[in-house]
Amino acid sequence: MMHHQRNTLGVVALTAVMLLTACGIEPADSPDATTDGSPSTTDGATATAAPSATPVGGGEPEDELFFTNWPLYIDQDDDGNSPTLQQFEEATGIDVTYSEAIEDNTSFFGTIQPALAAGEDTGHDIIVMTDWMIGNLARLGYLEPIDVERDVPNFVANTDPVYLDRSYDPGNRYSVPFQSGITGIGYNPALVDEEITSMAQLLDPELIEKYCGQIGMFVEMRDSMSFAMLYNGVNPSEATMEDAEAAQQVLLEQAPCVRDYYGNEYAQALADGSLAITMAWSGDVFQLQFDNPDLQFVVPEEGAILWTDNMAIPKGAQHPNAALAMMDYLYDPEVAAQVAEWVNYITPVPGAKEIILQHAEEAEDPEDAEYLRTVAESPLVFPTEDMLSRLYSYKVLDEDEERAWNELFQEVVQG
Amino acid sequence: MSDWLRRHRGLVPYLFLVPGGLWLIAFFVVPLVTTASVALQEGSLGTGYRLTFNFGIFPEAVSRWDTQLLRSLQFGLIVTVLAMLIGYPMAYTIAFRGGRYKNILLLLVIMPFFTSFIIRTISWKFILADQGFVLGTLKDLGVLEPGFRLLATPVAVISGITYNFLPFVVLPLYVALERIDPRLIEAATDLYASRLQAFLRVTLPLSIPGVFAASLLSFIPAVGDYLNAELLGSRNETMIGNVIQRLYLVNNDYPQAAALSLILMLGILVSVFVYRRMLHGQELTV
Repeated sequence: MMHHQRNTLGVVALTAVMLLTACGIEPADSPDATTDGSPSTTDGATATAAPSATPVGGGEPEDELFFTNWPLYIDQDDDGNSPTLQQFEEATGIDVTYSEAIEDNTSFFGTIQPALAAGEDTGHDIIVMTDWMIGNLARLGYLEPIDVERDVPNFVANTDPVYLDRSYDPGNRYSVPFQSGITGIGYNPALVDEEITSMAQLLDPELIEKYCGQIGMFVEMRDSMSFAMLYNGVNPSEATMEDAEAAQQVLLEQAPCVRDYYGNEYAQALADGSLAITMAWSGDVFQLQFDNPDLQFVVPEEGAILWTDNMAIPKGAQHPNAALAMMDYLYDPEVAAQVAEWVNYITPVPGAKEIILQHAEEAEDPEDAEYLRTVAESPLVFPTEDMLSRLYSYKVLDEDEERAWNELFQEVVQG
Repeated sequence: MSDWLRRHRGLVPYLFLVPGGLWLIAFFVVPLVTTASVALQEGSLGTGYRLTFNFGIFPEAVSRWDTQLLRSLQFGLIVTVLAMLIGYPMAYTIAFRGGRYKNILLLLVIMPFFTSFIIRTISWKFILADQGFVLGTLKDLGVLEPGFRLLATPVAVISGITYNFLPFVVLPLYVALERIDPRLIEAATDLYASRLQAFLRVTLPLSIPGVFAASLLSFIPAVGDYLNAELLGSRNETMIGNVIQRLYLVNNDYPQAAALSLILMLGILVSVFVYRRMLHGQELTV
């Protein structure tokens, strides 16, 4: 929902970018920023190319913390305060400045890049970025290394093994997950008279004939390209340039029947009946089901992307110990449950499920209890083993690949 | 100081131009030069950009995005004609038949500006949704085919832009029409002109400055518009503004985006120049 937010205020942002360029764009001072475009066999290789340094942390927490996140990504009470953040402040005495300044990975990167390239503090102690962007930032040497064994013990103790050693950040040297979601298929059974189990029903030119004009795809390049790669039987995180071209072919053949390439607004189009079948993010469909319980979310048999938004400390951050304290705190199952109850994406702490069920038992209002049980039992918040076994990661692209893939995909969405 | 001014009386008009001139330099010339310099750079956001005077980017960008460039000019033209056909009668009625309701009618024309045009355009998405209030009802009544849709079609995008820029057309037309001395029209009828002849030979020619201003105020923003195609259109309605937006903010391909911005500007300048020539001999300023 808040994830991958497409910037509808593009005009404003465009002005900002123009001002930014007017100030001149300094090249990154990182020595390996200019790595040649030699294709890496695993995406892990690109991430590990960053200069190794001693991890930050191991000291007393500072007395303040600047935490920057996506909109609507933390619990909120009726007054607009976050109980989770307030409890953290009370427990630690750290003064937290929480901002929801991240609307989009790329444009947020544009705002912090000049400071990072100049070796200055960005003003953020924790940023939350999607996995591939974490890989990019690490490769450019823009993140502080962390030692999760020493400073984030709750992560080591409480996370699901599926979040350890992901390809974009092997060994969690720079980041720990905040929340995750699945890019799968959503459909409206009122307009689809069959059970959807496969991507073919969304991509095969013959099968999609009957939904022509009612099909939605994502405008996020990585999502749609990875989707088509899975359809072609390719693991997206190991895709080559040929795989990307093949994926583009699939998408171009499908394009005449696609109604539009959507950002977050696909959810509205699915809800109002404009779309019969569409790519979808798990958390959104979970929310939509409260209004229309018939809507379905499927992890197709070919597989799906498990994307993860991660917390990381930008280079030069002023309060790294406080940042690590916050990360550790968020991995306390009680806290993770409190956030999951409100956010409804996939929490990296599976133990939160039991606690949410317990909260449901204790809830006085039967409606609250019902809601909490729905959250705890939904495979969209706590995915089943079967779902998890079919999940893949985005590839961490180097700059040349990213440019080439973007060009391939722009032809799909804009002709 | 005052002595100095008295002795250099001729400089006073130029001094009045200083604030506006500085404004133009800061917010037009500097960005324009920057855009031109960005267009001629090569590199990437991660590794930095270097000025390489890569003039080849202009023909490359034109041939890559010719469909979207032409579509933008075409949409802009259709929008301008439509807005004129709708806006001229409106402005005419307010100017000549408005009577004591003139001010209220003008207020109604600018009323839409009281809410953000993004919000207004998004509400069209809800109003025109395939199964929404309007189309859903008409489909249930059997008036429309079940598969019929307005969103994601050129009709939706062109209507959206026309709707958004209509006030910019009505206001200058109103100003031009309001200034016309009604006695001229009376004189024409006294000289045995029919009402149509009086309109064609007196009112219309005298309102040409308003027509010129109104068409520029709709054509220029319409060609560069990005929002309506983004919200109401699909792949097949992509305009050049959408391409530039994606190049800047998604692909981080600043040089190509800057080059396209300049090409768009040039395209608009040429169109305006041609238009100006078409109205050759007419008085174009009020």
